[in-house]
Amino acid sequence: MIKHTTLIFAALFLTTIVLLAVAAPMLPLVDPVKMDILGRMAGPSLAHPLGQDEYGRDVLSRIAFGARASLGVALTGAILAALVGVTLGLVGAYFQGWAEQATMRPLDVILSFPPMLLALLAVTLMGPGVQTLSVILALLFAPTYARVTFGEVLTVRNQEYIEAAKALGHRPTRILARTILPNVAGPILVQFSLVVAAGIVLESGLSFLGLGVVPPTPSWGLMVRGARPFMEANPLGLIWPCVALVLTVFSINRICDAMRDLFDPKASAAVLPVSRLLAGTGIGRSRARPAAPAAFDGTLLDIRHLSTEISTPRGTIRAIDGVSLQVKPGEAVALVGESGSGKSMTGLSVMQLLPRKVGRIADGEVWYASRDGQRTDLAHVPANLFRRFRGREMAMVFQEPMASLNPVYTVGFQLIEALTAHGQMTKRDAWDGARRMLERVGIPDPERRLNEYPHQLSGGMRQRVAIAIALCGDPSLIIADEPTTALDVTIQAQILDLLEEIQAAAGIGLVFITHNLGVVAEIADRVVVMYCGQVIEEGPVDDIFHNPRHPYTRGLLASVPRPEDMAGQHKRLSSIPGTVPSPLALPPGCRFAPRCDHATSACVVAVPELEAVSANQNTRCIRWKEI
Amino acid sequence: MTEAILEVTNLRKHYTSTRGLFSRGSAPVKAVDDVSFSIAPGEVLGLVGESGSGKSTVGRTVLRLHEPTSGTIRFGGEDITKAPAGRMRELRREMQIVFQDPFGSLNPRSRVSEIIGEALDLLGSLPRDQKRDRVVDLLQQVGLSGDHLRRFPHEFSGGQRQRLGIARALAVRPKLIVADEPVAALDVSIQAQIMNLLVDLQREIGVAMLFISHDLGLVEFIADRVMVMYLGRIVEVAPARDIYANPRHPYTKALLSAAPVADPRLAKRRERILLQGELPSPANPPSGCTFRTRCPFALPECAGERPAYRKVADQHFHACIRDDIAGGEEVREVMALAT
Repeated sequence: MIKHTTLIFAALFLTTIVLLAVAAPMLPLVDPVKMDILGRMAGPSLAHPLGQDEYGRDVLSRIAFGARASLGVALTGAILAALVGVTLGLVGAYFQGWAEQATMRPLDVILSFPPMLLALLAVTLMGPGVQTLSVILALLFAPTYARVTFGEVLTVRNQEYIEAAKALGHRPTRILARTILPNVAGPILVQFSLVVAAGIVLESGLSFLGLGVVPPTPSWGLMVRGARPFMEANPLGLIWPCVALVLTVFSINRICDAMRDLFDPKASAAVLPVSRLLAGTGIGRSRARPAAPAAFDGTLLDIRHLSTEISTPRGTIRAIDGVSLQVKPGEAVALVGESGSGKSMTGLSVMQLLPRKVGRIADGEVWYASRDGQRTDLAHVPANLFRRFRGREMAMVFQEPMASLNPVYTVGFQLIEALTAHGQMTKRDAWDGARRMLERVGIPDPERRLNEYPHQLSGGMRQRVAIAIALCGDPSLIIADEPTTALDVTIQAQILDLLEEIQAAAGIGLVFITHNLGVVAEIADRVVVMYCGQVIEEGPVDDIFHNPRHPYTRGLLASVPRPEDMAGQHKRLSSIPGTVPSPLALPPGCRFAPRCDHATSACVVAVPELEAVSANQNTRCIRWKEI
Repeated sequence: MTEAILEVTNLRKHYTSTRGLFSRGSAPVKAVDDVSFSIAPGEVLGLVGESGSGKSTVGRTVLRLHEPTSGTIRFGGEDITKAPAGRMRELRREMQIVFQDPFGSLNPRSRVSEIIGEALDLLGSLPRDQKRDRVVDLLQQVGLSGDHLRRFPHEFSGGQRQRLGIARALAVRPKLIVADEPVAALDVSIQAQIMNLLVDLQREIGVAMLFISHDLGLVEFIADRVMVMYLGRIVEVAPARDIYANPRHPYTKALLSAAPVADPRLAKRRERILLQGELPSPANPPSGCTFRTRCPFALPECAGERPAYRKVADQHFHACIRDDIAGGEEVREVMALAT
């Protein structure tokens, strides 16, 4: 709980200093300018708890009165600078065009001067003193506020909630003050804390040079200045104002940090203990390793009772819970489900691509039949040996190809890298191989494309390149995670055709993860429907679509608009009520029960087992016979 | 026919890229290129197209969230193309937008009561408790409840946020709602909930709607008429039932045949028209018919003039010169499209 201790300390210290400064004249302190030549540089005593300075003045009282000058200058300066800078930044970034020129350019001019020079100039013109210092601070720091605000507003102004406010017909002033300002407040607060700190230091510096607060008025800077020549004889004289400075700056920074978190409604949820994140990585696989199933029964991938856990700040989630599924060579299995169903996690678990530290396989086996007929439990292959399987035996295609392609290398380079990762070959062969891969995935003019970078390709082309890279190692299994979701329908149709063709030609097993039932119908041989981390129904594609047994599968299918729902008569899509439960608060019993029209009291007692409906169809519903 | 609530004539929106020091001479991106249409009060007009077709730009330009390059926009008979900012603010209350992204379109720093209350304030200030009641009414109308008042957007699921977005749009009692891919970011089962909500609300309050989507099934479900856009232009417009049963333009046909059908038997039987290649750059569109580079029926003549609209039936128009395939009679009057 270091976090809170420092915060409490910071708050207490700052309150004390501010109170001390405000109440200094009323407190029974010694007059800060009263000299006592006899008591020069005396150490702490009862009358002078912090000692006396080079003129015998009371240090405690000078710190208290000095806080008035130092804090006063820094705070007024920082607030003035914030008012000016934030306003200019908001206006400049929101209206842009001439407003940007009018607000930001003059500030750039200020920034181009060395700050000290500017300060000297102002002091020469206005004479030294507390007011001059505040003005100088405002002048010096307004541009940094404006820059920070400007940058933040630029990112926020394109958010749709700003457009929504405009669409509602709000005035620009209101949008700026009510909608934009709270969203950029975080960085501005941080900036504020930095400016106050810098202001106190600058005040000290200028006073130290004799350009700031005029003696004998006490300020922390002046105290440092006064104590410096005597620092060997009286180090305490230097230490006290420095301690006050350091602690004040620290306290202000800490409090502004806390304020930023306070203003962010999302942050408050995350202040929960994170210690669980560190708990159990790789521990807990206590179960004895089962022996490999004896004979090769024709399955390529055989997942058995696989469970994967993800640690989140709010607790451990069982993202997939006892999932079993089989893929045969040349078979396309579609994993279908809504977000949070665990379909992507299943793919990542098989590939050992779970987020490091937070995700782990908790239970189960993943049997994979290599080309040499050997069967391996992938769930228990150590990470360093897993590389042998990735690429050569199995490959993955992701939803957003831009994420899997490296933006700084050409397509050719990446293909060659993938090709040579699995065996040496000459440069010429590699280049030819890369070209052939592009031809195989139907990219026109492959020679030219090899020299292009990913950003020069369209979304569909990129996905073809990603598929080509996946094919480089000649894998027996491809896991495709929503590979067409980011694409337009006409391009999606092209990619689906391509995948089907490749799969048929090479006898590749395909796990196709998607939420789109239309796509499932196009590509899948078998369908596995997932809900809340469990398989709730599986079977051949025709049976799932035409004879679904689980109410969730039925609901999902009914949610897709069909010609019967259309036009005139009733115009109503059947929908599943409610939302997917949070993985942190799963309902007892059947996980779909709270949203199910057919739920009975028996449904909430225990999680139903996956039951065989026919030779190849299973469902996880205790009432499937009745409904 | 009753007077249209929204009437758009020859709308163009070109973006000039100003990036880079020396790129002043670059060609403008013709996001919307001469588009005309109208929406009757209480009508739902569907706008379908792929990404880059300019469909979202149309939605934002008719609300003047983006300024049109040329053309006229009439709202309730009033020409709003050049309406000053003050008048526009008043008018915006009668035309609302529901966005695609339920995460980005709600101010993350505001509570529900503020998000919807803010919209209510625009109708004039209400006493505190009345305002609160009205907010609760609106929440209930979209299937949420008064318990949600004090919450922040991030505490809601995607579908619930989209409900909030709809409640906010309804708060000002609009006559027109532009719904820009309102369910694209949602799960299938939640999509259906929101679609039903939109249909119910639309019927209940009789608001006109421009429903923008790339999903033909959803548009077919909700729309009275459907427009198909390709590269900034409308290639076909027809009553919903007509366009699905009897598509005329090769692009519409290809689009319909590319859409996956949630029926494995049907999927294996049917012949798909596979389009070659991808959408050309709107900065440098093909001459004549912009679809000709991917069209399986293109002729040399397609590269010539921009195709004129042809009428095939009442309210059914398309822009393809292959009369042997698409049929119809050429129409000269642009506004004929609107009726």
